[in-house]
Amino acid sequence: MSDQMDSRFHGNDGSSPSSIPANGQVPATFYFNGRPIEALPQDTVASALYRSGRRIFSRSFKYHRPRGLLCVSGRCPNCLMNVDGTPNVRACMQPVRDGMRVTHQNASPSLENDFMAIAEKFSWAMPVGFYYKTFTHPWMWRLAEPFIRRAAGLGKIDNDPNAVTDHPYEHVFLHTNTTVIGGGPHGIQAALEAAVAGEEVVLIDDQPELGGHLRYASSTDDTPETTSSTESPFRGKPHVGLADLLKSVHETPNITVLSNATCFGLYEGKLVAAMHRSAESPAAQRLTQLRTENIVIATGAHEIPLLFENNDLPGVMLSSGALRLIGLHGVKPGERAVVVGTTQAADSVCGALEATGIEIVATVSLEQVVKAVGKKHVSALQTNEQRFACDLIVMCGDWMPDAGLVGQAGGTVAWDEERAVFVASDLPEGVSAVGAVTGEDLPPAIGISQSASANPKKVFVCPCEDVSLHDLKTAIDEGFDHIETLKRYTTTTMGPCQGKMCQQAAIGICADQTGQTIQETGRTTSRPPTSPVPLGVLAGPHLHPVKRTPMHAKHDEIGCVWMDMGEWKRPLYYGTPDSKRESVEQEYWAVRQRVGLIDLSTLGKLDVVGKDAGKLLDKVYTNRFSDLRVGRARYGVICDEAGIILDDGTVSRVAEDRYFITTTTGNIEFVQEWLEWWLAGTGMCVHITNVTGGMAAVNVAGPKARDTLAKLTERDLGNKRFGYMRCRQAEVAGVPSLMLRIGFVGETGWEIHFPAEYGEHVWGAIMEAGEEFDIRPFGVETQRVLRLEKKHVIVSVDTDATSNPIESDLAWVAKLDKDDFIGKAAISRAKDRAPREKLVGFIMDENVLPPDGCVIIADGQPAGRITSVRYSPVNERIIGLAWVSAGLAVAGQSITMRVDGRPVTAQIVDEPFYDPAQARLRQ
Amino acid sequence: MIQLFRKERMWRTHELKRSYDVVIIGAGVHGLATAYYLGKDHGITNVAVLEKNYLGAGNSGRNTAIIRANYRTPEGVPFFARSLELYEDLSRELEWNLLFNQCGHLTLAHTDSSVDGLRVRAETNQIMGVDSRVIYPEEIQKLVPALDMSDRPRLPVMAALYHPPGGIIRHDAVVWGYARACDRMGIEIHPYTEATAISIDSSASRNNANRAPSIDAPEGKITGVETTGGSVATETVVNCAAGWATTVSRMAGVALPIVTQPLQACVSEPLKPFLNKVIVSANLHVYISQTDRGDCVMGAEVDPLQSYSMLGTLPTLEQMATYTLELFPQLHNVSVLRQWAGICDMTPDFSPIIGAVDGLEGYHLDVGWGTYGFKAGPVAGKYLAERIATGETPELIEPFRLSRFREEALVGEKAAAAVSH
Repeated sequence: MSDQMDSRFHGNDGSSPSSIPANGQVPATFYFNGRPIEALPQDTVASALYRSGRRIFSRSFKYHRPRGLLCVSGRCPNCLMNVDGTPNVRACMQPVRDGMRVTHQNASPSLENDFMAIAEKFSWAMPVGFYYKTFTHPWMWRLAEPFIRRAAGLGKIDNDPNAVTDHPYEHVFLHTNTTVIGGGPHGIQAALEAAVAGEEVVLIDDQPELGGHLRYASSTDDTPETTSSTESPFRGKPHVGLADLLKSVHETPNITVLSNATCFGLYEGKLVAAMHRSAESPAAQRLTQLRTENIVIATGAHEIPLLFENNDLPGVMLSSGALRLIGLHGVKPGERAVVVGTTQAADSVCGALEATGIEIVATVSLEQVVKAVGKKHVSALQTNEQRFACDLIVMCGDWMPDAGLVGQAGGTVAWDEERAVFVASDLPEGVSAVGAVTGEDLPPAIGISQSASANPKKVFVCPCEDVSLHDLKTAIDEGFDHIETLKRYTTTTMGPCQGKMCQQAAIGICADQTGQTIQETGRTTSRPPTSPVPLGVLAGPHLHPVKRTPMHAKHDEIGCVWMDMGEWKRPLYYGTPDSKRESVEQEYWAVRQRVGLIDLSTLGKLDVVGKDAGKLLDKVYTNRFSDLRVGRARYGVICDEAGIILDDGTVSRVAEDRYFITTTTGNIEFVQEWLEWWLAGTGMCVHITNVTGGMAAVNVAGPKARDTLAKLTERDLGNKRFGYMRCRQAEVAGVPSLMLRIGFVGETGWEIHFPAEYGEHVWGAIMEAGEEFDIRPFGVETQRVLRLEKKHVIVSVDTDATSNPIESDLAWVAKLDKDDFIGKAAISRAKDRAPREKLVGFIMDENVLPPDGCVIIADGQPAGRITSVRYSPVNERIIGLAWVSAGLAVAGQSITMRVDGRPVTAQIVDEPFYDPAQARLRQ
Repeated sequence: MIQLFRKERMWRTHELKRSYDVVIIGAGVHGLATAYYLGKDHGITNVAVLEKNYLGAGNSGRNTAIIRANYRTPEGVPFFARSLELYEDLSRELEWNLLFNQCGHLTLAHTDSSVDGLRVRAETNQIMGVDSRVIYPEEIQKLVPALDMSDRPRLPVMAALYHPPGGIIRHDAVVWGYARACDRMGIEIHPYTEATAISIDSSASRNNANRAPSIDAPEGKITGVETTGGSVATETVVNCAAGWATTVSRMAGVALPIVTQPLQACVSEPLKPFLNKVIVSANLHVYISQTDRGDCVMGAEVDPLQSYSMLGTLPTLEQMATYTLELFPQLHNVSVLRQWAGICDMTPDFSPIIGAVDGLEGYHLDVGWGTYGFKAGPVAGKYLAERIATGETPELIEPFRLSRFREEALVGEKAAAAVSH
C-alpha cells in the first residue's frame, strides 16, 4: 500500500467515530449569490442553505420548474450549483469552506423568479419528440436552433482558456488483495472478515465517514435522542453498533480506508477506479487506480421518488433525504409533514420526524394521493378524500440497489420477482456482493403502483430531463417500446443522475404499457462512470513529457530555433526566428563546401542480437540482410502485408550475430513491436533491445569531414579501409563509438553512435576539430534541403498510408527473389501492374515556392500533390518531390499547380538534383 | 407540424414472411437507408431489415454524429460530399427533424506535416467543389473563442482546415426517421431477429469464361437467410452489419479484409453553450463538439487492439480527458457522465467496401465503415440500392468495390479518416 496518502483526502479515516463537532468549533461563512450564509461544521452547502431558509435549489432542465432538496445524497440533480467556478456541483455533498462562493444555475434573474419558467406554459405544445416533429424544413431549423441551443445546458463555464490556472490533480496507483466498495455496515463487515483472513484490504467509501445509513437512520430500538444543544437540536445519535464497527476497522492495520472516495468504475482486469473529493476544493482532485484480486460490492441501495402529480415540488422529499438532513446536519426539514408510503415504511420514518418536533399531519398510501399542492413550495397534499395542509411531503419510496458497478464487473443485474427489485447476480469469480445491493434487508417494494393523479403530464419520472409519465406512455405508444429506444427518444436516464432516480420507474412503466414482464423489459446498460468525474481528475497532473537529446544544452548555447518531432526537441536551424533563410543557406553551404555537424540522437536505435537475427530481418525488411558482411551497412525498408512502406533506416552488421538498426525518430516503438510481433512464436533466437535513449548520434558530413574526424580517431578513414556503406567500431575523441559511412545529405560523411553520457563531449570535440575548416552545426531544415537535392525520401513525409516501394521510386529495396517477406506478395503484384501514381522529382519553371501539400492539377482535376518543396541553393531553383498520376510521371513532363490562386508550372526530373553519379558520396 | 398532436406508431411489428425480394442484415443507418432508397427510388418494398438487437443499437447509436465532406482522395471527396448533400435535405424529405446543426467543422493541425496534410485536403476539396480551406490562428480564435491558442499546450495549434458545412446531427433521429419512412412504404423492420446462416446454391454458378476466378467468394447464388425467427427465401442479401461485418460475411463464405476494433467516446454534463463548432485534432487523437442539449461529446482514436468488447477502458477515458484539456483547459472541472464504445469494421485503407461480390450472385456489401460510417449512411444506401435494383454499379461507389484489394487499387483515406471522424 502507498504510505503517501495525504490526509487532505481522508476525512476522518474512521478514526473519529462520531460526526458530532467538538464544542466551540467556529462556524464558517460562505456566500450564496453574494449573500453571506452561516454554516455549522457538520454542514454541506445544501444543508446550510436549507437551514437559512432556502427551499428552491435549482430550476429544472426543460420547464424551469422550481426544485428543492430531494435525496440529500448526491444522486438526484436537484441541488446542482456552481461552487467557486465549478459547475454542476452537488451542493448536498459539498462540505463548506469559509469564504466559498456559491451561485445558482440555469435560472434568471433568480431561483425564485425565473423568467424561463414560461417554458412550462407551453409544455402542452411540447410533447415528447417535439423537436423531431417540428422544424423539419432546414430553414426553419436554422432559425430555431440558435434559440434552443441558448436555452439548453445547466452549468456555466468560464469561456476564457487563458483564465485557467493549474490545478493540483493527481493519479495514484495501488495494489491490494481485496477491495470493498461501500462503507456501510455490510461493507465494513466484509472488510473486517477479509482482513482477519490476512488479506490487505482497501475499503472505499464515498462519505466523509464510514457507517452508511447507520450514520443517520436509527434502528427502531434506538430512537434518536434529542439534545439540548442549541446548535443542533435535532441530530440523532449514531447507531450503537456503529461505534464498535468503526473501532474494529480503526484497530485493524491491514485495512486502508479511502473516505470521500467514489468508486466510479470497475474495468477489465479488476481495475478499480475511484475519485477522491478533497474537503478543500469543489473539484475532486485525485484518481486512484487500484488493481485487486477480489472485489466486494457493498454499494447499498438508494430510495427513489414516488409517482404522483407535482412530485417534483420543493418540499416533496425522499424519506432518506429528510432523515439525512436531520441525522447528519441537524436541520429540521419542515414543520408539518405528510408521509406517503406503506404503513410499515411510514411508521419507521414518523418516529424520527416526530422526535425532532415535526408534526405528522397524516400518513397516506400512494393510491390515495392526487397531487402535491403549491406554487413554488408544497402547501398541501391533496388526496382523493381531503386536502392536508403541510410544508413537507415525505415520500417513502422504493429502494433501488446501487448495482451500476455489477454490470461493469461482468455480473448481471437481474429482476428478483419476489422482492420486486433488480439485484446483483451471476458475479464472476473474485467479485462478490453483500448487503442491499443483493436485495438483502430492503423493505418490501411497492413497484409502480399508480397514484390517483389525473394529470400524468405533471407526474415527473425523470427529474433531470423533465420527462413525465405522459411522455413515457406516449413514446411507448409511438413504438419506442424497448427500454433502450425509450431512453434515447425521451432522454429519460440520460441526465446528470444517469437514471438513479428514474430508471426503475421507466422500466416499470415500459413493462406495464407493453405487457411484458420487468425481466423481459430489461435495463439500460450501466456504463462508467457511475458518478460524474471531472475531466481534470481523469487527465491528472498537467504534464508535458519532452525528450531532449544529450547535446540539447549545446544547441541552446549556440542559439537555435527548436522544432517538435514527436516528444523530441530538435534544432530546426541555428539562428533566430527571423534568420531562417540566411541561416539555412549558410548551414547548407558549410555542408556542401566544408563540413557540417548535425545531432541525430533522436533516431530510433535497436540492438538486434542472436544467431537468427539475419533471418528475422530478412523476414521483416524487404531487402536482404543475412548476406550482409560484418562491417557493412545497408539501407532497409519495412512494409506491411499490403506492401505499404512503414519505416526505413540503416541496418549495420557489427558482428556475426549482431545488427545495429536505426529507425525514423517517431517510429522506434512501432518498429520494435513490429519485429517482436514477427519474432513471436517462430522459435528464432533473437533479442531486440531499444538503445535509443542510451546512445547519442551525430552526422559529420562534407568534403572536410574526413579531415575533421581524422583528428579525433585512430581509425583509417581512407576510402580503402573505410569505404561507402561500411561500419566500424572506433574510438572518437576517446569515446567508444560505432561509425557508419553513409550519406543521407549527399556528401562524404560519417554517422557516429556513442554512449549518451558523452554527448556534449563528442559534440564539443568535433566542433573544435572542425574549427579550422569553418565547421557549422546544421539543423533539420538544412538537412531536409540537402536530402531533397539527393531525392532521398523521408518516410511519412514523402510517403503515406498508400505508398509502396515500387511507386515510391524505391523498387530496388524490394528483393523479390528472396524467400517470403512481409509484403512480398503485394509488392510483386504492384510491380506487375501499371502504377497508378508515382513519386517523382520536379523543378519549378519560375522561382515560386508552393506550400508543402500543394495539389497538382491536370484537366481541372487533382492529379497529385507535393510532399516536399524547397529552394535548392546549388541549382538556384525551387525543387521538390511530388506524387503524380502515372501518366504524368515522365521526365520532362510539365505539371501545373495553383499557388496563391495562380497556376504555375514545373518539369518532372528523373535524376537527383545533386551529384547524380554519387561521386561526392564515395570521395 | 400536425404530426405533433397525432399519436402515430413510428413503425409496426410484423411476422416474418417466407420470402422477400431483399433481406438486409443490420437495422442501423446503413441498413435502413438502403431499404429506404430501394423503396423510394426503385419501388422495391418487399424488403426485410433484420436486426439482432433494437433499432440503431450498433454504431448508429454510438457514434459522435459528425457530418462532413472534407476528405482527401478524389474518390472519397465526391462520395462524402453527396452524403452531406443528402443529409442537408433529409429532415424535410423524412418529415422528421434530424437536428442537423451545420455549425462548421475544424480539423486542427499542431505539426508542420499535419499542416501540409490539411493543404492537400483543402486543395482537393476546393477543386471538387467542397467548401473547405486552411485557416490560421487569428481566424481560428475568432471562430472558437474558447479554444486555447496560446503556446502553453505541448503542441500549440498551428492551423486548421475549416469546413463550414460540416456539423453534428441527432444520430438516433436519423435511424428513426428512416425506419418510419421505410415502414410507411411497407418495408418490414424486424428487430430482435438475428441472421444465423446464409444459404447459397453453388450449382447455380454460371461459368463465365470472361470472369477471373474469384478469390473472395464461393461461386454461387444466394437463396435465403436463416434467422432466429425462422428461415426466409431471398435472392438478395445485403450485409450492413458494421462491427460484425466479417462474422455475417463468413455465413456467405466471403472473407473480408476487415478487422474489428473498438472505438470509444464519452459525454459530459450539460453546460451552457460555449462551443458551436466541431473540433477535431488528429495530432491529439480527440474530437469534441457540444450538442444542442449542452453536453460535450468527446471521442478518441480507435483502440489499438482487435476486440468485440463494448466495455470502455480507463486509459482511453484518461486520454480523451487529457487531450480535451489541451484544447479547452477551462473544462477541467466539468464532469464526464458516461463513456461507451462501439465496434468498428476497419479496412486497411480506411475506405469502405460497397457493392456486389464477384462470383456470389445476390450478395451485397455495405461494410468496412470503420470510424466514419455514420456520415455516409444516406449516400451508401442510395447508391447501393441503385446497384441492387439495376445491376449496374454507380460511378460514385465503384472505387469502393471489394476487388480493389486484389487489384491493389486502394483508396487511401487514412490521413483524413483516422481520428478525424
